Amino acid sequence: MELVWYALLGLFLATYLVLGGYDYGVGLLLARGATEERRRAALTALGPFFLGNEVWLVAAAGTLLGAFPTLEGELLSGFYPAVFGALVGVVLVTAGVQLRSRPHGASARAAWDRVVVAGSLLAALGWGALLGGLLQGLPLHADGHVDGVAHLFTPFVAAVALAMLTLVAVQGATFLTLRLPAAGAASLARVARRLVPVALTAVAAATVLGLLSDRVRAAVARPAVAVLLPLALVVALLVARAALGQGRSGVAFTATSAALALPVVLVGAALWPRVLFSTVDPAASLTVADGAASEPTLSLLGWLVLPLVPALLGFQAMCWWVFRGRTDGRAPVYW
Amino acid sequence: MDTLFLARLQFAATTSIHFLFVAVTLGLVTLLVGVQTAGFVTGKPVYERLTRFWGQLYVINYVLGIATGLVMEFQFGLNWSGLSRYVGNVFGAPLAVETLVAFVLESTFLGMWIFGWHRLRRGVHLALLWGVALTAYASAFWVLVGNAWLQHPVGYEIRDGVAHLTDFGALLTNPTLGFAFGHVVAASLVTGGMLMSAVSAFHLIRRTPDFALFRKSLRIGLLTTAAAVVLLIGFGFAQFGPVGQVQPTKFGGGPDRDALVAEWTAKFGPGDYVPPTLSNVGLGFMILIGFGLFFGLLIVPLLWRDWLIRLRFPLWVVLLALPFPFVAVILGWIAREVGRQPWAVYGLLPVDRAVSPVGSGLMLTSLVGFTLLLGALAVTNWVLLARHAARGAADPALGRPPAPDTDTHPQPVFA
Repeated sequence: MELVWYALLGLFLATYLVLGGYDYGVGLLLARGATEERRRAALTALGPFFLGNEVWLVAAAGTLLGAFPTLEGELLSGFYPAVFGALVGVVLVTAGVQLRSRPHGASARAAWDRVVVAGSLLAALGWGALLGGLLQGLPLHADGHVDGVAHLFTPFVAAVALAMLTLVAVQGATFLTLRLPAAGAASLARVARRLVPVALTAVAAATVLGLLSDRVRAAVARPAVAVLLPLALVVALLVARAALGQGRSGVAFTATSAALALPVVLVGAALWPRVLFSTVDPAASLTVADGAASEPTLSLLGWLVLPLVPALLGFQAMCWWVFRGRTDGRAPVYW
Repeated sequence: MDTLFLARLQFAATTSIHFLFVAVTLGLVTLLVGVQTAGFVTGKPVYERLTRFWGQLYVINYVLGIATGLVMEFQFGLNWSGLSRYVGNVFGAPLAVETLVAFVLESTFLGMWIFGWHRLRRGVHLALLWGVALTAYASAFWVLVGNAWLQHPVGYEIRDGVAHLTDFGALLTNPTLGFAFGHVVAASLVTGGMLMSAVSAFHLIRRTPDFALFRKSLRIGLLTTAAAVVLLIGFGFAQFGPVGQVQPTKFGGGPDRDALVAEWTAKFGPGDYVPPTLSNVGLGFMILIGFGLFFGLLIVPLLWRDWLIRLRFPLWVVLLALPFPFVAVILGWIAREVGRQPWAVYGLLPVDRAVSPVGSGLMLTSLVGFTLLLGALAVTNWVLLARHAARGAADPALGRPPAPDTDTHPQPVFA
């Protein structure tokens, strides 16, 4: 039963990184939109999907709280600075995107757009730092107490955070090539293609720093996974670049989405069966089973929630279907 | 300052800001369902205009509900990891159901509703709003199931120092749940109804050209508030019995309280097991506001032949009464939450065991950071709400029809 819930947690988290990833990617790219029209066109492309994207973060947090309460408490309080930064970012993006067009003045809107850029930056870096932190373990004691926050400030974590930032930027640009009117899409395809090598460099740097780090080597239980999945990530990015060159936005978006989902799979699989690796006391490490709720809770949640997961996905799919295609003169404008 | 105090302060700040916005969300969405359904059934354009105007305010207000809600959800893990560690098996379940069953759908539906005007069939568009409202109520219900368990833990057993779920049904029949849910829903309807009445009164005082529209929403708002305030007071007083029974320390002295404090002292060691007086003083003021609103609504008969509008001074009364429901909901939550001190879970887990073992510097940074961020966003949001409310219903951005000659427009039209 824990495995089912762990897989579901991974699914929600990966869906969040894929969907929220393009929110933040579009948010980051607002920094290059010189004119109000260009920035608003990008936000209109996000339009109906925006509210449905961040719900996956809430779904993941709810799953943690209900099915993995022990893990939830130790994970979030153990990586406090990363979670804090990411949350501040998410709040800024949420408020910024939804409120930026409520004032009429161009300068107020430009100010809100800067808020969105800053929020996107923080969110991408924060979630990246959390994933990196998981891979290198933390000084966790048997009573659940973690020594300070300095454990998070390592070159590896910084590299993973930056890699996440670049992946998110690529995802946002690729999403826009899929959604903007054909005339605007071409220039974004060029931007996305230029961002791919940057992302490749960042992913390679994170991988190398991980291989060199004692803590990462100690924490990773399955080195083969930890080497193969970054390779898969590199392949996904190369496929995306090639597809962008041929104007096949759909293929490119699928590939960049895979690139954002893979880090979640990587963290889950490489650490399995552990999830929090203790660098000070191996016995204090938390396995997935230790972190999970007890059997009655998991089966109750199974009865209440699992039958609804297809409905959650179904209504989201309805949203994607209703608002599919490029934005045009009939596109509803609200953000 | 110790970590525990800072964590409590942060929880109080986040929760208070959260509730100021979700009360409006829950109340206003109910009224929106009413006006959009009326528009669907009667086909009168005034209802569509009402839906767009109040929908716009609803959507602006919703932003802060999500932003603060996100922080709340993560706060349990960040600041209260002991809660997850000792009672997460029971307390986590209703919150997980809330997020997965209610919130995920609510936000997905709302996204489609905002962007679905003139694009979806009218029936589908209306169904989406019903979906938003029903999931919002479900959300409130499951959050209160979780809160009621913290007030009065039931349906669990302790094994190896950790609570395990034994009877989920007991969580749903918790004596601290049913009346509280009714009370919260009624309070939200009063808040939403008062907001609608006050904004309408403002436009009627200013003699905005949209007389018919604001006359209608003044009536809807006032009648809703009047009906809800009766329920509000009823559900409020109905709670004294069951809550006083399961929480003898909440409303002051008595032999039950002394016996319980003696029992706790024997079990958990000596300590201060009586909540601060703040909670009961707040409760007194809240009850005062409740009765104030109740008597204030004796002006409702003046709706007959529009005397309320023609006399004008009742409009000022309605407008100036707007802050009171907001003050009352905060006082109500303070009574409920501070009233169970020093317990995170009443009689089971003291707050000092529930707080996360993190440094006070970190907690202070988090408190200042989140409070400043959410406080600033709350103020900004209210300013935007006030401006949009004052702007009137001439042409809200929500539901604006797309440009007519679409063939020549490959790009979206921004206004």
